Amino acid sequence: MSRYGVNSVLYRLKKDPDFRARFTEDAAGTLAGADLTDAERAAFVARDMRTINELGGYLHLVMSIPGLAGH
Amino acid sequence: MGRIVFAGAMSHVLDPDYYDRACGELGRRSVLAAMAEIARMGERLSRKDPDALIVVADDHLNAFSFNCVPALCVRIGRRVQRMTQDHAEAFDKVLDHMPTEYPLHEALANAILEQGLASGFDLALSWEAPVDHAFLSPVNTMHGPRPIPPLVPIFVNAFVAPQPTARRCFAFGQHIARVVATSPWNVGIIATGGLSHFPELSLPRVGETDTVFDRKLIHWMETGEHAPLQALTADELHKTGSHEFLNWMVLLGAVTPARADVRYFGELPRINLAAVEWGLG
Repeated sequence: MSRYGVNSVLYRLKKDPDFRARFTEDAAGTLAGADLTDAERAAFVARDMRTINELGGYLHLVMSIPGLAGH
Repeated sequence: MGRIVFAGAMSHVLDPDYYDRACGELGRRSVLAAMAEIARMGERLSRKDPDALIVVADDHLNAFSFNCVPALCVRIGRRVQRMTQDHAEAFDKVLDHMPTEYPLHEALANAILEQGLASGFDLALSWEAPVDHAFLSPVNTMHGPRPIPPLVPIFVNAFVAPQPTARRCFAFGQHIARVVATSPWNVGIIATGGLSHFPELSLPRVGETDTVFDRKLIHWMETGEHAPLQALTADELHKTGSHEFLNWMVLLGAVTPARADVRYFGELPRINLAAVEWGLG
């Protein structure tokens, strides 16, 4: 499990509107260079916040990303 | 000779719309009742005319990211900015209409930092960290339109394991009390967060609380039994969703052996809301 990779992507999605916009258009392409496992990458592409949380994504990030927040 | 003239702790998402969305009308009514008590606490604080207000709270991965997460950090400098977030969601939305900048009590912050390092607390410092709802929602609810005294924000890492221990947070609070006692200032102190919510920081468990655990914490605070509170483990705090009680532990160290008076305690599915004040004689 790569908690750092998951959380650094979550943090950028929250704080970097350009990154978030690119992700919204093309999630897989935007994450192509990210240091993620296949499971982590699949969860992001599916916008599956519950799985991202289970893979180590911090809850407060998971709950507060504009347009993607899991409540 | 300075002294702590006010001490209080309270939940820190003080937003009726947030609780309406999360818990319906009961959520709105409950947080409005809690906010009314917190506003009255603020009136009592203001009547003490404090030179500074220490705010002990946690960052929600807004000020600090994964380049560095300090265990205990003193925000120094002359002013602090509100955290900004485009298209804010959830608990971030409460900040939207708050002032964007607040004065700091530079001399008190520096004293806590410098004397802390000299006495064995390896504190982090920041000149730039912004503050999020954990700091500003209680501060603005307490003060309303009245002037806010110069702040000393203190960050506790409540969420990113490994966190500082409850015992260490309590000891740091005792350090703060010593600094204030040898200063020329009258100081208020608040701690924010909690009570029980988001057990194990697990999304499927959002909506669960541990009221039995909360009532145990409240009992110990009311009776001034601070030894069992210092013995709380990281595992207990994590499983019960009491991560933010570490902020309260700093305050408890600063006011020990004072006893707490509960101003508000209300159970909701998402969180147990609380507002507590300490009698300081």
